[in-house]
Amino acid sequence: MSEATADAGSDDSWLSMDNSRVLVVGSVAVALVVLFLAGTLFPDSTAGALVDILLLPSTWSSTLTLAVPIALAAVGGIFAEKSGVINIGLEGLLIISAFAAIFAADTTGSLWLGFGAGILASVLLAAVFAVVCIEFRANQIIAGLAIWLIALGFAPFAARIVYGGPNTASLSNSVPTVRNAGIPVVSPVFDSLAETSILGPFQALFRASPTVYLMFAVAILGWYVLNRTKFGMWVRASGENPKALDTSGVNVHRVRYAAVLLSGVFAGMGGAALSYNVGQFTGSGQTMVNGKGFIAIVAYLFGNYNPIGALLSTFLFTMLEAIQTPLQYAGIGVPRTLVQTLPYVGVIVVLALVGRTRIPAAAGDHYETGEDR
Amino acid sequence: MSDDGNDTTPDGSQGNGGIDGTDGTDWRGRGRSVLDRLVEASVFERVLISLAALVLSIAIGVVIILAAGRTATCESAATTYFGVGFCYDPFRVYDRLFLGALGNPINPLFDPLHGQFAAPFREGWTPFNPRLADTMTETTILVLTGLSVAVAFKAGIFNIGTQGQMVVGGLASTLAMLALAPLFSGVTATLVLLPIGLLVGALFGGLYGAIPGALKAYADANEVITTIMLNFVASLVALYLVREQFQDPDSFSTKTNDLPAGVEFPKLVYAPSDEFSVLAFVFVLLLTGATYYVLRYTSFGYDLRTSGLQPDAAEYGGVDAAKTIVASMTISGALAGVAGTVYVVLLYGYFQPGLPAYGFDGITVSILAGNNPLGVVPAAFLFGVLKSGAISIQTDPNVDIPIQLVGVLRGLIILFVAMPEFFRLIGKRANDLGGRSRDRTGGSGPVRSDGGVLGGEGDE
Amino acid sequence: MTTAVHLDGITKRFPGVVANDDVDLPVERGTVHALLGENGAGKTTLMNVLYGLYSADEGRVIVDDVERHFDTPRDAIDAGIGMIHQHFMLVDPMTVAENVTLGSEPRKWGGLAVDRDAATRSVEDLCDRYGFDVPPEARIEDVSVGVQQRVEILKALYRGADTLILDEPTAVLTPQEVEDLFEVFDELTDQGKTIIFITHKLGEAMHAADEITVLRDGQNVGTVPADETTREQLAELMVGREVLLEVEKTPADPGDEVFAADGVTVRDERGIEVVSDVSLSVREGEVLGIAGVDGNGQSELVEALTGLRDPTSGRLSLAGDDVSEHSRRRRIEAGMAYIPEDRHEQGLVMDFDLVENGLLGSQHSPPYARRGRLSWNDARRHAEAIIDEYDVRPPNADARAGSLSGGNQQKFIVGREFARDPRFVVAMHPTRGVDIGSTEFIHEQLLGLRDRGAGVLLVSSQLDEVRGLSDRLAVMHDGEFMAVVDPAEVTEEEIGLLMAGERPGGVDEDAEPEPSTAQADGGER
Repeated sequence: MSEATADAGSDDSWLSMDNSRVLVVGSVAVALVVLFLAGTLFPDSTAGALVDILLLPSTWSSTLTLAVPIALAAVGGIFAEKSGVINIGLEGLLIISAFAAIFAADTTGSLWLGFGAGILASVLLAAVFAVVCIEFRANQIIAGLAIWLIALGFAPFAARIVYGGPNTASLSNSVPTVRNAGIPVVSPVFDSLAETSILGPFQALFRASPTVYLMFAVAILGWYVLNRTKFGMWVRASGENPKALDTSGVNVHRVRYAAVLLSGVFAGMGGAALSYNVGQFTGSGQTMVNGKGFIAIVAYLFGNYNPIGALLSTFLFTMLEAIQTPLQYAGIGVPRTLVQTLPYVGVIVVLALVGRTRIPAAAGDHYETGEDR
Repeated sequence: MSDDGNDTTPDGSQGNGGIDGTDGTDWRGRGRSVLDRLVEASVFERVLISLAALVLSIAIGVVIILAAGRTATCESAATTYFGVGFCYDPFRVYDRLFLGALGNPINPLFDPLHGQFAAPFREGWTPFNPRLADTMTETTILVLTGLSVAVAFKAGIFNIGTQGQMVVGGLASTLAMLALAPLFSGVTATLVLLPIGLLVGALFGGLYGAIPGALKAYADANEVITTIMLNFVASLVALYLVREQFQDPDSFSTKTNDLPAGVEFPKLVYAPSDEFSVLAFVFVLLLTGATYYVLRYTSFGYDLRTSGLQPDAAEYGGVDAAKTIVASMTISGALAGVAGTVYVVLLYGYFQPGLPAYGFDGITVSILAGNNPLGVVPAAFLFGVLKSGAISIQTDPNVDIPIQLVGVLRGLIILFVAMPEFFRLIGKRANDLGGRSRDRTGGSGPVRSDGGVLGGEGDE
Repeated sequence: MTTAVHLDGITKRFPGVVANDDVDLPVERGTVHALLGENGAGKTTLMNVLYGLYSADEGRVIVDDVERHFDTPRDAIDAGIGMIHQHFMLVDPMTVAENVTLGSEPRKWGGLAVDRDAATRSVEDLCDRYGFDVPPEARIEDVSVGVQQRVEILKALYRGADTLILDEPTAVLTPQEVEDLFEVFDELTDQGKTIIFITHKLGEAMHAADEITVLRDGQNVGTVPADETTREQLAELMVGREVLLEVEKTPADPGDEVFAADGVTVRDERGIEVVSDVSLSVREGEVLGIAGVDGNGQSELVEALTGLRDPTSGRLSLAGDDVSEHSRRRRIEAGMAYIPEDRHEQGLVMDFDLVENGLLGSQHSPPYARRGRLSWNDARRHAEAIIDEYDVRPPNADARAGSLSGGNQQKFIVGREFARDPRFVVAMHPTRGVDIGSTEFIHEQLLGLRDRGAGVLLVSSQLDEVRGLSDRLAVMHDGEFMAVVDPAEVTEEEIGLLMAGERPGGVDEDAEPEPSTAQADGGER
């Protein structure tokens, strides 16, 4: 490992951790071990029931499904922030793409077109954000909030125009899983693996929606692009020392535009996947996105700007959410509304513990160059 | 060629000047063209930018309304432009939005553009009409949430959690007043119970605001995220408490018991059926004045403003940064808690989970007001008009555009106010028409006000 | 010999000022050319024109006998010009090889990946060729400033630069590193490269350059061969008048100890010990100077003394009272004044006017504040008094601090801090980036305060300044005091060695009546 880190950039090793992260991950691990021991020894206790829930393939399935929008938005957020633009408007990007995907899929009848429309809507909104932040030097935090609030108003507004209520129609044809997609060879293999009980919770991997595989692919691809490609190097340099990049003859604004638009692409995938997995867009209150964009930010902070780390910390949050329903059925303890606060409280606790992340040195700063235009 | 880079020194000190855009202070006081100077003038600039942002947002609103009008289906077009019919008429929408909120004060015969100089006010219109009462009720609460956000902003903190603090304050004060209700009745309820409620609201709102403050001060946790998370936690916990613990047994909807009859702000000149109370508004104005006074005329206010502008300078000047952060978040939360209490007392007389987004509107109000407490009042009124006007829209059968439009406008206004550079650029473009060419990196260099050595600083 | 670069009649104007006025500058290939001048003489502007960061209003840029128009640094790089800025343009968390190749990365797999091995090899090749010792795999944040500078030079060479511009390259180096740098110059010119370096230090220009061009007020006031000129001639060219190289001061008349630090150790944010067990003592009516290359722990030491940073260990006393645990505010109230290193971030609130800035540090003290209420009338009178007494221009208390020039900002800070009638003053780089007139004024004020009985701790990396003003002089290296010497006795060479971390035999550590505050073990750790 030491060799790997020596030859790599700062976030280059697959999982580099500092003390507070070790603390969180460690205590979660210890708690799980204790729980599993207790659960195995006393299968009839609450611990036993909890262990059963944690090992249910369905728990893992919903952990994965719930993670899709968060992890995708998180990878997008990493690109933006690594380039020096803190994109706090991820929530807004998720909202707008969740709506646009359903609307377009409903109008055209094509799931593919709908997915593309979701991405497009998100990219357009991200482009507005990029212009405002990069060209007009807006405060990134305020502009990000504005992006969120615009989407928060616009999606339900549009839903009311088109559907007469805050929610859209439901998708007529849902997204097929790989096992049901009828692909020769692949589908039967997935189907049999999904029913192989020896795999235990890993069966969930073969029951998942294609968007789950997209999430894994994007996380790995994101890591690769960031750490192994020219563009990734430029993105990192742009967030750490834009002047260094500029004087090397690379246009910083262009790199930042690309990174922010990329965050729009990934968040757009996330939003589209979210509403596809649910089957419709619901726009009342905080909409169906309900803070996932903000959880994504915490996920990548906790993952130390590493797409793989962000993916894993996303699972931490979504697991908390995934066990809620089985907990209800198991008749364990607390009222549902209180259990629902768990991911949010978890985010606060994690943020309090890892507050001092090493953020890119120039993140949040406007950069003016002599090079553009 | 861009000419918007004016944060540079002529000799490119600190390593070729303009490249480093991080020094936001440098370009400001430097030499500027006349128009720039005009735009620079602090208060004037703020007002100008806020107005421009408003106008621009409304203009974009027109486009959205027209676009929505093409998408929606309706039996007959509300308006026709260039031979294309639209389901919604933006001018009618804005007419309802702004004039509806005031109770339609304009005399239909008053049309100076066409030489009609009838009395400008509609016959029978009084400022004490129910529509304006509604607007002023909204304004009253928005002033409080706007102040809440502004105080935090002045200290350099983005308190997005005003909403949650308002929920906590509103619920806590309701429960406290309900608990103490058997002890008071009639006039004593107004004189004793209501102040107690306001205090409890401030206390709990303040405590709930202190949490993200302490997390920021001592654990470096970004307050934007923590406050947003705490908003979710507040509404879920409030929902749980009301539904499971304090549910009104006689009601099908999720709400607490009604507050005793005496707990209300005396209405004075408005009709009892109106929710607005002049007294409540005066109370809020007093709080505004007090906030302004604290920020401007006390040592604490000085500490707070210094922390907000330049944390390093504040610490240099002996300000305890952590304490200031916690204190300002506590005050901010307390104002939000009072807002929650006033909301409960003024509008319903009981607590119901799922409060309207006054907290987020407070962000807009504060930003629109340049975070100046005195500016919060007109900004809140403007937003009160928008919110109350949204109801006029709903009640007008001819204009059935979804009121979420106001939410979009809210976001757009924040977006535009956040980019003063955009308006500066427009100003500069206008100024540059026919002007001389500018340097790519330095739109304008320093003019030493003392005629001192060029580039006297930097270039070490 | 051929001309590598020829700047012909360059004029560059900024609103209200002429930064370069018809400057002619021919530079021979394979030589070292020094561009000498005071702060603000227009040296950097001229080089930014050559590097494509500014476009000249008049004049021609001729490279290799061809007239060029550089719109961006990219154009200049393509024409074989490289620039090493005063503040390094390096990405700290990335490796040397990544930094060197940034923007021109070697690629593999059809462009899908950066070829990191090739990048490393290129850096190694360059190192071999020019005799550099730079580890290509090390991260920038882990290597010394001297190495970082080599990386900057490598960056330029990697991009095929034939002419290298270095902006104040010695400002951040120890004397030994400066020597090494000048050897690099020789190596580079031997291989046909041309070097232009900006400096305001006479000695360096004479020592390292073949030719010296002096700029003053944006004009070329003379180009001379280095071996045919004298220090005095250059100094007069630079300043345009006879220079007072010495600060006039009366001998100190020290009284009782006013401030003492005992065993102060400070760790930085990363947990690295940056100040190691430093002790010092300042008496009434004397100036204790701390000399040293920037970044050897001076900033952290001063922050620990003034209450802006918690030391890991150590005790502080002010006028006999233990102030180790006192907050910043209590230290101010106990009579400690502080002229900070960074006036833009710390010393002034740029968006406040001078009335408000005059309050900074006194916002809780009478007469400006009583029972938490501020008296703006008193604050205004206070600010106007400072403006008047310290000749701050423009004399307008309503002016925003950010609108003042550096010298006037600094005068206002000095005035504000001294108006507290402090017992003990910490002055950190009090004249950095300040014009000559203000510098002299600030020096007089510091000595005046000393003569009125205050203790002064003066930290500066400018040797002339600390030597001229101090009554005793401590030299700091790598977080430790190397020695405390009598500035009148010690030679510049001796200080230079101490600053570099070497203890020459000739310096007697116990030359002072006060017990030595230097560490016995000293030296490199």
